[in-house]
Amino acid sequence: MIPEWLSEKDNYIPKEEKNLYIEKSIFSLIKIVSIIRQNKNQAKLAYSINLYLLNPTLKVVSSIVMILCISISRSFIYLFIIDIYVLINLFLMEKKSRKRIIFKSFIFPLLTLIALVPSMYYGNIHNSLLLFQKLIITTLLMNLLSHNTKWSEISKSLKLLFVPDIFIWIMDITIKYIVLLGEHSINLLYALKLRSIGINSNKYKSLTGIMGNLFIKSYKMSEEMFHAMECRGFVGEYTTKVNLKLKKIDYVYFIINIVMVSLFIYL
Amino acid sequence: MHIPDNYLSPSTCATFGVIMLPIWRRASLKVKVEITRQKMPLLGVAAAFSFLIMMFNIPLPGGTSGHAIGGALVAILLGPYAAVFSVTIALVIQALFFGDGGILALGVNCFNMAFIMPFTAFYLFKLIKNLFKNTKGEYIGAFLSAYISVNMAALFAAVEFGVQPLLFKDISGLPLYSPYGLAISIPAMMIPHLLAVGFLEGIITVGAYSYIKKALPDVIYKEKVNKIRFLYIIIGILILVTPLGLLANGTAWGEWGPEKISNLIGFIPKGMEEGFHINSLISDYRFGFLNEYFGYILSALVGVIIILIIFKVLGKINMKSNTKGD
Repeated sequence: MIPEWLSEKDNYIPKEEKNLYIEKSIFSLIKIVSIIRQNKNQAKLAYSINLYLLNPTLKVVSSIVMILCISISRSFIYLFIIDIYVLINLFLMEKKSRKRIIFKSFIFPLLTLIALVPSMYYGNIHNSLLLFQKLIITTLLMNLLSHNTKWSEISKSLKLLFVPDIFIWIMDITIKYIVLLGEHSINLLYALKLRSIGINSNKYKSLTGIMGNLFIKSYKMSEEMFHAMECRGFVGEYTTKVNLKLKKIDYVYFIINIVMVSLFIYL
Repeated sequence: MHIPDNYLSPSTCATFGVIMLPIWRRASLKVKVEITRQKMPLLGVAAAFSFLIMMFNIPLPGGTSGHAIGGALVAILLGPYAAVFSVTIALVIQALFFGDGGILALGVNCFNMAFIMPFTAFYLFKLIKNLFKNTKGEYIGAFLSAYISVNMAALFAAVEFGVQPLLFKDISGLPLYSPYGLAISIPAMMIPHLLAVGFLEGIITVGAYSYIKKALPDVIYKEKVNKIRFLYIIIGILILVTPLGLLANGTAWGEWGPEKISNLIGFIPKGMEEGFHINSLISDYRFGFLNEYFGYILSALVGVIIILIIFKVLGKINMKSNTKGD
């Protein structure tokens, strides 16, 4: 028999909720996870002419050198040439990531430009525009690098910059666990969303509880990971090798970069 | 608070990179001693955790939402040196792969968020915890340490921005990088952090800390040696940089004396004219016989000592009431 109180109709009307912070959190987590996933799968896809085939170490080093040159340079002409070069790179990208890169790289410099308006009003126009242009190029360059190179390869090539092996290894673990823990917290957030309707005071508490739970989960996961590593013979040492195999196309890329750096010196 | 490239001069970035090198080195040595091989993967997973904390949106009054940095939480849970490591890695991943924060500015960002923030948070937390010695004290400590540490990091970022136009100018005297001086950059950074971000950081830290404390208290970091030397070092640095205020022209907003007000609005409000005057012990932070800069440093030192004495006395009183309660 169904108890009587169960069949009674409730007239509970939850207070309407304005801010959708749980959805926002879920959305930003899904975005992160999908970006990492996409980067992993990219390498498997075949592209005809593109930047994926270039040697990743060369790409990382040249991007950093170029960012350094840009930040020192005071010449509009040099920045303009780099602008064109970066835009050519952008058009060699696949359509979907091209859109995302453009979106990501222009919003922040535009906000900066608005913030610089008062300073321009007082006559600081040249330097402000220079700053704006530099910002666009550097964010474009970094976003291009992260979209057209496998992340594990990028972190490996950090070895050339005297970054210790253990740091690179921890970075690889971090990227893997961002996905795992991210999925875990998406599940927790969905659970919270399904179980609470409207505004209630417990929601806040649960949100910080989710973070606490996430920490405990990560603690447990790291223990599990250690056992898995030990079973496979891990002794606490980790070495990475820098990929220095160069193909024909890499030499072309290398020469282009040398030209860019010499342009910086002469302009 | 992620400073992008080109806001700061390359030389500033290089300087902070050089400052961070010994900190990273010491952190890696410390972590090797503190963390057993069994816990080594924890560093990576903790870095993933501190990365993800930034993805959680928390509602703010006024219908918007923001996210916390989590540096304080990681420092309290894992200890300051492990926090240096994991926040650094989170920042590197953000800069390299997600385009948040600059590559050249990585040293500066790490200094603010992976060094100043966790260290301030950890040692403040310990200080307050030792003063109160009960659970409530721990929660107060967690909140305050998060609130103060995020503001400290913001203050450092604001100073780094603010000194750019003073140090780097072109031939015509116009600023080359971030054009706004200390008088603008400090309020612009500090007001949102003091009013909103600090509270957010505090609430998250207390909430997550209390949950973990109830659910799995063994995992929280315990330091074997009892030293709070580091807090003193940070306070020392802050005392030394107090004369920076002299670089900005004008007085602090809202802290005007009657003469200044008459300059600003043309007359002295009647109430103020006849109102009370405080003749402070150290007027205008200046000791007559000393250079202005030293006067500032000395005033800061005196202030800090007075606060420390007050806290010590409070701690004694609290301890007494605790023992009475037992």
